[in-house]
Amino acid sequence: MSRAVQIAVQGIRIRLGRSLVTVSGVVLGIAFLMSNVAGQLISSSLAREKEVRQVVTLMEALVRSEVGAASGKTLAVAVYGAMDRTEQLFLNRLNAMPFDAIRITGGQSARGVPSTPQEVGAGAYLLVVLGQDGAVPHALADLTRGMARVGLLDAVEGRTYAGQTPEGVKRDLLFGKETLEQMARMQAQAEQARFRTIWVAVISLFVTIISIANALLMSVTERIREIGTMKCLGALSSFIRRMFLIESAFIGFAGSVAGTLLGALIPILIYGGMFGFDLLFQELSYLRLTLSCVGCVAVGTLLSMVAAIYPANFAARMVPASALRSNV
Amino acid sequence: MAFNRELFFENADAAARSGFVIRAVEVRKVYRMGDTDTHALRGATVDIIRGEYLSIMGPSGSGKSTLFNMIGGLDKPTAGKVYIDQVDIAQLDPYELAWLRCRKVGYIFQSYNLIQVMSCIENVMLPMAFAGLDNEEAREKALHILDLVGLGGRALHKPSEMSGGQQQRVAIARALANSPDILLADEPTGNLDLKTGEEIILLFRKLCDDLGVTVIAATHDLKMLKKSDRIMWIEDGLISKVTTPDQMNLHEEEVH
Repeated sequence: MSRAVQIAVQGIRIRLGRSLVTVSGVVLGIAFLMSNVAGQLISSSLAREKEVRQVVTLMEALVRSEVGAASGKTLAVAVYGAMDRTEQLFLNRLNAMPFDAIRITGGQSARGVPSTPQEVGAGAYLLVVLGQDGAVPHALADLTRGMARVGLLDAVEGRTYAGQTPEGVKRDLLFGKETLEQMARMQAQAEQARFRTIWVAVISLFVTIISIANALLMSVTERIREIGTMKCLGALSSFIRRMFLIESAFIGFAGSVAGTLLGALIPILIYGGMFGFDLLFQELSYLRLTLSCVGCVAVGTLLSMVAAIYPANFAARMVPASALRSNV
Repeated sequence: MAFNRELFFENADAAARSGFVIRAVEVRKVYRMGDTDTHALRGATVDIIRGEYLSIMGPSGSGKSTLFNMIGGLDKPTAGKVYIDQVDIAQLDPYELAWLRCRKVGYIFQSYNLIQVMSCIENVMLPMAFAGLDNEEAREKALHILDLVGLGGRALHKPSEMSGGQQQRVAIARALANSPDILLADEPTGNLDLKTGEEIILLFRKLCDDLGVTVIAATHDLKMLKKSDRIMWIEDGLISKVTTPDQMNLHEEEVH
């Protein structure tokens, strides 16, 4: 056994150039697989955060559809009670929109000019009511006083306002039925994309197997004399077979380790760039990541050995007399 | 599958008593190349005496190498029997054949066939590993054998760093690794110049005399014949005559 390992290692060393090409094939195949696996893993770890961001994007689109072009217009914001993370992100997003001015009451934001509930609406195009308090102590008539167009977006469905609701106030919900439907559509699309990537990953693994088998077959035909000589010296067919399987296992293992690291790094960089590395490393399940790394290395090594079965048998079946016959 | 060593050794003892180490009876070999059959051997009968130095002489294409493969257990005859130490090699399974190649016969090739990636001593240790020797024991034995063939100081060199004569010595050392009864050499001096070729032949003679190894060398090189005990001539797949060097008029001019 140890002798077979030694010869296999020497075989790789002497044909380092080609071995490296074979290894790089494994690296690419496994990196692709791992980037998919790790991408799914990270994406599911960040699912809550992703959902929040999707909701905020949808809410922003809703604001746009209500207001039209933001420049030249004023926005009014009223906050009652604590805001959840979605609302906070949404408020930040509102600040980034090109409104001329943003007036805010009951809370604070980067661009928001603090105001009173009675003055917040003056000249505004839209009133956004955030916060989780169910009952607002002020009347809608006060809040919407002097608005250029009396439109209201509310974060909480069953929120009640003091006093009577004046005529002509158009009240919409930020988290309405439409938002939820759109979310479901986006998730279905993501699911479809997932199946596509799995399919492509499987095909890329097949390509990897075939390229390894091809490289090993070349290695075998190159070494017919060597194999024949070994058989003349008393090597069993099983020894020859083992030698090639071990060589392939080494190539597969080296390629899989490199491929797994590369494949894990890519989605970490992408998602880290999108959501911030702090959040990513905090939300990431390290146990599951480690398990998928181990799994990918095992898959790569195993597939390399599967690819080696045919070339190894081809070598093992060779007649020892061929060593004498192929005299140069 | 378990190899029946006891039976094998019993037969080996019988062979030692009989005096013939290899017997080939009416051996025929047909190679099929597409639709045409090539008769490489047409019924060659050979008896090889234990401890002799036999040269097999014949032009290329005469079936010399085929006979070689047969009596070395590298290939099986189409018809006829080959006995090595009284054992019919056609009856052996692959494990027993591997055992035979490992312990009974040492092979030497025209183009040395050393494993290029291994050093000199690793080449010699390889058949020992196949025989199940542990590393330390094998190393010691390999050094001893390398000394015997005159390569004591070059154990760690790679084949590519050595001359042809030295490489052939390594190949001889490797063939001797498991103390075989028989050394089979197919054109051992074919790739060597006159002087180194002669040195290799003297080495064969020495191994034959000192270790009692049966040496069988195929050649079409007249200078190899002088040192051998018997010369077997093969022509067109048949043994045409068996002579001793004395019976031939080998003039010095012819040899050189």
